[in-house]
Amino acid sequence: MKTILTLIKKEYILFWNDKVAVSLTFIVPAALIFLFGSIFGGSGQSASGINLAFVNNSNSRIARKIESTLDTTKAFNIIKTYVNDDGKTVKFDTVSVKRYIMGGNATAALVIPKNAYSDTSFGLKLKFYYDPKNALEMQIIQGLLQQTIMMQIPELFNSGMMRRSQEVLGKIKGNSFNRQIALLVHKYFGVDTSKILSNGYLNFSDTTQNDSLSSSGFKSFFNKIINLDKEQLVGKNVSNPQATRSVGGWAIMFLLFTITASGASLFEEKQSGVTLRILSCPVSRVQILWSKYLYNISLGIIQLYAMFFAGLIFFHIDIFSNSINLFIIILAASAASTAFGMLLAAFSKTQAQARGLGTFLILAMSSIGGAWFPTFLLPSFIQALSKITLVYWSMEGFLDVLWRGSGLLEILPIVGILLAMAMIINIISIIRFRKGNIF
Amino acid sequence: MITVKNLTKKFPSVTALDGVSLEINDKEFFGLLGPNGAGKSTLMNILAGYLDADSGDILIDNEKLSVNNLTIKKKIGLVPQALALYDEITAIENLEIFGSLYGLKKSQLRYAIAEKLKMVGLFDRKKDKVQTFSGGMKRRLNLAASILHDPKIILCDEPTVGIDPQSRNAIFEYLEKLNSDGKTIIYTTHYMEEAERLCSKIAVIDFGHIISRGTLDELIDSLNYKQTITISKNHSTEKQVDILKSFGKLILEQDKFELQPTDGFKLSAFFKVIEENGISYSAVNLKRPSLESLFLQLTGRNLRD
Repeated sequence: MKTILTLIKKEYILFWNDKVAVSLTFIVPAALIFLFGSIFGGSGQSASGINLAFVNNSNSRIARKIESTLDTTKAFNIIKTYVNDDGKTVKFDTVSVKRYIMGGNATAALVIPKNAYSDTSFGLKLKFYYDPKNALEMQIIQGLLQQTIMMQIPELFNSGMMRRSQEVLGKIKGNSFNRQIALLVHKYFGVDTSKILSNGYLNFSDTTQNDSLSSSGFKSFFNKIINLDKEQLVGKNVSNPQATRSVGGWAIMFLLFTITASGASLFEEKQSGVTLRILSCPVSRVQILWSKYLYNISLGIIQLYAMFFAGLIFFHIDIFSNSINLFIIILAASAASTAFGMLLAAFSKTQAQARGLGTFLILAMSSIGGAWFPTFLLPSFIQALSKITLVYWSMEGFLDVLWRGSGLLEILPIVGILLAMAMIINIISIIRFRKGNIF
Repeated sequence: MITVKNLTKKFPSVTALDGVSLEINDKEFFGLLGPNGAGKSTLMNILAGYLDADSGDILIDNEKLSVNNLTIKKKIGLVPQALALYDEITAIENLEIFGSLYGLKKSQLRYAIAEKLKMVGLFDRKKDKVQTFSGGMKRRLNLAASILHDPKIILCDEPTVGIDPQSRNAIFEYLEKLNSDGKTIIYTTHYMEEAERLCSKIAVIDFGHIISRGTLDELIDSLNYKQTITISKNHSTEKQVDILKSFGKLILEQDKFELQPTDGFKLSAFFKVIEENGISYSAVNLKRPSLESLFLQLTGRNLRD
C-alpha cells in the first residue's frame, strides 16, 4: 500500500509541476463553463443588446408606444441614426436602413410604415428587413420583437377584436356584441364596461405566456394583429446559409490549432539541435522566422481553402463567385493566425507550454469570437472582448465575402484589422524572440 | 588560422567562458578537453556562429566571426552534440535540406550527398527514414550533414556521445581522413582517450578558463611526474596503503590505487618494498601519465566528475 501511495504522490507532484496540465484541468473547463453557462442561462442572464435598426414613419399613438417600448427593452440596442457619407449623423429612412442592413452593420431592422395603424385597420402592419446570416439570431430577434410588442400593447388586440366584430356583424350588431362581452367581463371580473368599450383595457399580457397561445389558431390570430412583413435583404442566393457560417468558424479554429502546432515546432527543432545546425549554416534568425511565418501563411491558405472546398462539396457553399475577395480574406486571416502561433512560441518556454496555452486561447477565442455560436448570445462585456479576437474578424470577413458578396472596398476595413493585428502581434513576437531563449 | 581573443560569454546563472584565448593553425586536429559544464559547447557554439560572445573576438583567416557574418559560416561545418536531424524523413532528404542551406547547386549537392554518404557507409540506406537508423548510423549521418559543403573547418562537439565502440572508431577514421585531406578540426570531448588518439594539439578547459594547452607530449611533460604506477586493489595491497603512500601521491580509485611518484623515486627501491610486504608484481603496472592525470593535477578533480 505504501508503494501505491508513494506512486500516487509522485503523480500529484508531476501534475502540479506541469502548469499546462493544471490549466487544462481547471482553468479551461472553468472558462468554458462560464461561457456556456452565460449563453444557456446558467448565470440568469438572457440575450441583451441585440442591434436592431429602427425607423418610425407613423404618427399613430400605437407606433409611438412601440417605439418607446423598444427604447426601454434591454434585449435590444435600438439604432435610429447612422453616419452618412458627409460624416453627419442622420435619422434612418426606409432606404438607408436597408442599406445599413445590407452593409452588415446590424442583423435586422424594424420599420413602422406611415400606414402601420389606422382607426379602420384591424391590426398593426410592420416591415421587417433582415440579414439571416445567423438563423438562431434571427429567430431570437423575431421572437423578442413579437413578445415585446404583444406584452406591452394589449389594447391593440382588444380594439382590433372589437373592430373585427363590427366588420363581421355590422356596426349595430357588432356594437351589441361588444357590449355583451363587456357586460360579461364586468359581471365576472368587475371591470368598468365603459372602459372596456372605450379603449380596450382588457389586459392580455398574461395570456401571451399561456401555452394555449402556441396553438396554430392563436398564432395565426396574433399574426393578423401584428402583421410583420419580412424581407430578406442579404444572402438570397446563398444555397446553404448556415453551413457558410459554421464552415468559416470551424475552419478558422482548426487553422489556429495547425499553426500553433507549427509554431511550437520551433521548440522541437531547438531541442533536437536542428536550430543550432541551421544557424551554423549561412542562415540568420530573421530568415528562420520569416520562413516559419511564410510557411504557416501558405499552410493556412491551403487549409482554409480545403475547408471551404469541403463546404462546397458537402453544403454547396459558393466559393467561386467572389473568389478574389475570398482569397484576400483567407490571406489576411492566415497572416493573423500565423502571427498568433508565433506569439505563442515567443512567449512559451517549452513546446508543451505552447501547445497547452494555445489550446486554451484557441478555445477561448473561438467561443467568444463567434466560431461556435453567435456572439450576441454572450454577456455584453464578452461581446466587447470578442472584437479583439482574430476569430471574430476572420468570421466577419468570411461572412462578408461568402454571404454578403461584399466587394474589395467593403472588406478592406476587416482586412486592415486582421493585417494590423498580424503586424502588432509580430512586432511583439520579434521583441520577445530577441529576449527569449527559443534561439 | 583561427584566433580566439579574450572571449567571454556569460549566462544569467553562470560565466561559461572567461577570457578564453586560443590559436588554432590550419590543418590542425585541435582537441578541447574538459569536464561537463567546462564551457566547451559554448565555445563551439560561438565558433559555429550560433552565439555571439559578450566580449572578445574570433578571427578566421583574419576575418571576424559573428552571428550575422553569414559568408564566413560557409567555411565552417558543425557536427553538433545532439543528433540534429529530422527523424521523419529520409537520409537523402535531410542532406538535401542542409546542403541547400549552404547554397550548393543541384548538381553539386547531388555529388556531395553521394560522396559523403559513401564516406560514412550509408549510401545504401539513403532512402531510408532516419528514424529507422541505429544510434551509430545517425551519428555518421550527423557528420555527413555537416561536411556536405566541404568546409575548411570542422567543429565536432562530442560527436561520439552514446554510441558503440565500433561506430566511434568509424567516426574517428572519417575524421582522421578529413584531417589528412587538409581540414582543420576542432574536437571537444571529456574522454581523454579520444583526445589522446586524435588531437595533435589540446587545450584543457575548466570553468570557462583554458588551464593548459600544447601537444600531448608537452602536456604530459608538464606533469611533475613522468610515470604512473597503478596497483590493483586486493586484500594484500589494501593493508599496505601507508607504505605505498611513502613513494608519492596515492590516489584511491574504485578498483586500483594510482601512485604518482615524487622526485627521487627509485623503481628498484619501490619493488623491493612491495616484495617485502607481500604484494605480487602482477598487481603492479607502470604507465605513462594520461590527460586524466594532468587534469587531476591541474584541478584536483577527475575529468568525468
